[in-house]
Amino acid sequence: MSDTNPLAGQSALPGVLGMLDNAIARIESFILASGVLLMALNTVSNVVARFVFGESLHFSEEVNRILIVMITFAGIGYAARHGRHIRMSAFFDLVPTQARRYLMAFIAVVTGAFMFFLCYYSYTYILSIYSTGRVLPTLNYPLWTMYVWVPIGLAVTGIQYELTAIKNLTAKKVYLSTSVKDGFDEPEQAIKEQE
Amino acid sequence: MATLMIITMIGLLLLGFPMMVPLTAAAILGFYMTFDGFGQMNVMVQQMLGGIRPTALIAVPMFILAADIMTRGQSAQRLINLVMTFIGHIKGGLAVSTAASCTLFGAVSGSTQATVVAIGSPLRPRMLKAGYKDPFTLALIINASDIAFLIPPSIGMIIYGVISGTSIRELFLAGIGPGLLILALFSVYCIAYAYLNNVPTEPKASWAERRSAVLKALWPMGFPVIIVGGIYGGVFSPTEAAAACVLYALILEFGIFRSLSASDIARIAKSTGLITAVVFILVAVGTSFSWIISFARIPQAILETIGIADMGPNGVLISIAIAFFVACMFVDPIVVILVLTPIFAPAIEASGLNPVLVGIMITLQVAIGSATPPFGCDIFTAIAIFKRPYWEVIKGTPPFVFLLLLAAALLVMFPSIALFLPELAYG
Amino acid sequence: DTWRYAHEEYEGDVQDVFAYKFKEYVEDNSDHTVQVFRFGELGESDDILEQTQMGILNFVNQSPGFTGSVIPAAQIFFIPYLMPTDEETVIEFFKTSEAINEMFPELYAEQGLELLQMYPEGEMVVTVDEPVRSPDDFQGKNIRTMTNPLLAETYRAFGATPTPLPWGEVYGGLQTNILQGQENPIFWIESGGLYEVSPNLVFTGHGWFTTALMANQDFYNGLPAEDKELVQEATAFAFDYINEYVPGLSEEALQTILDSSDEVTVTRLTEAEIEAFRARAPQVEEEFLSMTGETGRELLEQFKADLEAVTN
Ligand code: NA
Ligand code: NA
Repeated sequence: MSDTNPLAGQSALPGVLGMLDNAIARIESFILASGVLLMALNTVSNVVARFVFGESLHFSEEVNRILIVMITFAGIGYAARHGRHIRMSAFFDLVPTQARRYLMAFIAVVTGAFMFFLCYYSYTYILSIYSTGRVLPTLNYPLWTMYVWVPIGLAVTGIQYELTAIKNLTAKKVYLSTSVKDGFDEPEQAIKEQE
Repeated sequence: MATLMIITMIGLLLLGFPMMVPLTAAAILGFYMTFDGFGQMNVMVQQMLGGIRPTALIAVPMFILAADIMTRGQSAQRLINLVMTFIGHIKGGLAVSTAASCTLFGAVSGSTQATVVAIGSPLRPRMLKAGYKDPFTLALIINASDIAFLIPPSIGMIIYGVISGTSIRELFLAGIGPGLLILALFSVYCIAYAYLNNVPTEPKASWAERRSAVLKALWPMGFPVIIVGGIYGGVFSPTEAAAACVLYALILEFGIFRSLSASDIARIAKSTGLITAVVFILVAVGTSFSWIISFARIPQAILETIGIADMGPNGVLISIAIAFFVACMFVDPIVVILVLTPIFAPAIEASGLNPVLVGIMITLQVAIGSATPPFGCDIFTAIAIFKRPYWEVIKGTPPFVFLLLLAAALLVMFPSIALFLPELAYG
Repeated sequence: DTWRYAHEEYEGDVQDVFAYKFKEYVEDNSDHTVQVFRFGELGESDDILEQTQMGILNFVNQSPGFTGSVIPAAQIFFIPYLMPTDEETVIEFFKTSEAINEMFPELYAEQGLELLQMYPEGEMVVTVDEPVRSPDDFQGKNIRTMTNPLLAETYRAFGATPTPLPWGEVYGGLQTNILQGQENPIFWIESGGLYEVSPNLVFTGHGWFTTALMANQDFYNGLPAEDKELVQEATAFAFDYINEYVPGLSEEALQTILDSSDEVTVTRLTEAEIEAFRARAPQVEEEFLSMTGETGRELLEQFKADLEAVTN
């Protein structure tokens, strides 16, 4: 899928906050892209190893377990930033624009709150895993380290939603995220775009 | 407790919350009520992480990545051209080609969304220009993309296989028959539509053009060979087939077609990561949701209430079909599979139904439900991608939904539509 | 009260039978009820153990092989040819062993778990695409093992290529020849239909599939004396039942397999053939010791002393 907004990577925030936000965005995309590529490399190598050398890589499964946690929790922040989380908007779309702005702000505030809630409990869960000293059996890698992404990702996502709420309260249009506007195109535009 | 959880979930859903929130909220409510407070929220997190742990799920991002590489490169376009040069010129040919391209592309892509983008984005403008109405075009794209959900690979089947312990490779083979059946039904409707609305036909391709299109599409046709042949022939597990597809897509687009450069790969990886995360966060919170209802013994209570024990296999199959269809009209298919499969698991086991057949029925219902108004989530995918208002998008869907339901009825009457291939393969 | 009890097998399997016997005794002899959760209902094996440690579940049945990531020494059951193959001796060993009944409870206690009973589920039987009689026959064969490092070492020592895979991929892997074999107790081979796709059963005599019933320690310690006694009695009741049940079960399962397939072959290694495999066990023992250090060494020594005691 293409990024619908070419400016979507630029922070809508002013000054230092904007710089910080842009830095986080870059780190997020870096983690996301490298996570997917490492997973592809690992999975493909495992297949090649089995066919060419007749033996699977023992660590392959556990490496993928680490990567999938990383991709998921780096990705939810990125998806929030680009307004790409799956939602059902049938009734939402019927609401007039000005009211929709407030509804969106409400949705964003509450969504952010849920993210912070999960963030807190994922932190306490990691503490409990840390205290048991549980490891990944093959890599002998402490389990809690692979879960560090969870509270970080949830916190970043929560912040994104709170910023979206502010954006909707301060701007004139409805925003799905800090930089993605809600709205429609005409069919003719699709033809024009292709030509 | 169950009632309160469901009311919370549907309420938040209708307001337009991102889908992870209704599920999270319902799960938290369940934990709060079961344990008298937030004392056991650690288990909620444990189950979120447990949900994205199974190895078989790795196939999901790998298939998405392969499809993404093909869409940004030339493979998808070459498949479309192949179909167009052969059937583009018949009455309704452009519409039939769209359906056929979705089916063909479905043999690489595991998700409806990816197919809407890969096939819908280039073909919708062409259909509009040729004189098809936008509601028909949108409805066709939405519903034909559902064929991709049935043709292997399929993310829905992978997730059903993981949580029900059913063989993913048998599910993959079983999806092919119903997928082709739906393609046939849609093609008939497309041709009828073109006659009724007198849509002009496209110029006929010459044999030279056809030959060139075939040659160009030979490489991308390797994907179905890897997936179906590899799994059928016992060379690959589904996850390995996914990895092989990624490798093949990279070789094609970077090595042979030279359609992508190294700088594209980061963009593609990001987009794959994004789609993966959006799906997997639902898998994560959905797993917590099923844990709490399982812990509170809610499935047993629900099944007892509807008296499923006395229904017999066909009754169970039809109940499952209805439940998944209705649920998918409201919620994302992945979420529905995650939430409902564990609820029905005891009934499926007791009824002696073939779990592969159940899986295909579920996948089909999920596909239909998610394209069915009022709230099917494919509709919202199309709204997001094509930027069209809700009511415009749903206007053309009823005939397609009717045909899909017809396919489901045929499947209940003739299960061998699905089971023929796996039985041929594995006896 | 309602006591929650989770195990890692399906309806009718050994752990399920044990659980329902436990439930039967508790409910017949007290006002408590026991809710049994089967495989997958509350997550995977690791999850239910953790939930018991958290106190959400009161009882959990988990095989020491899965406990390996928390208690490495529990992998001792994967050292091949440590235990005898005849059932009576094995059951006697589980009843009398100091290692099992005194040392293991301490290891589990460190994890907040009260070990109630360890018990054998059945002898490990290998199924292969062709009968195997020597380590040479194992050459180049992918044998699926549980995802446990020591078990992988066993099959490497036997000459095969260990392939750790989750349970869900085993049947398909065998069917499509990605795997050439796997190991499991005979009742699993029967109930999972594995003999249909991997028909050559080899009784190598290298080990027993062992499992353990545990309780959350705070829960157990907080029980009044009569309830503690009730738990102990219910465990003993289920254990006695299982000791009768398991030997018959293996024979029954093998008979069912032979009745339903003509392809199945049964290979029982002779003492001389076993010797060739046994000769490779020390390499696994060393790996075990390097994983577990002093704790493992003490446990292994006691294990051997206890076995000495029951075999003589
Ligand atoms: Na597909
Ligand atoms: Na769908």
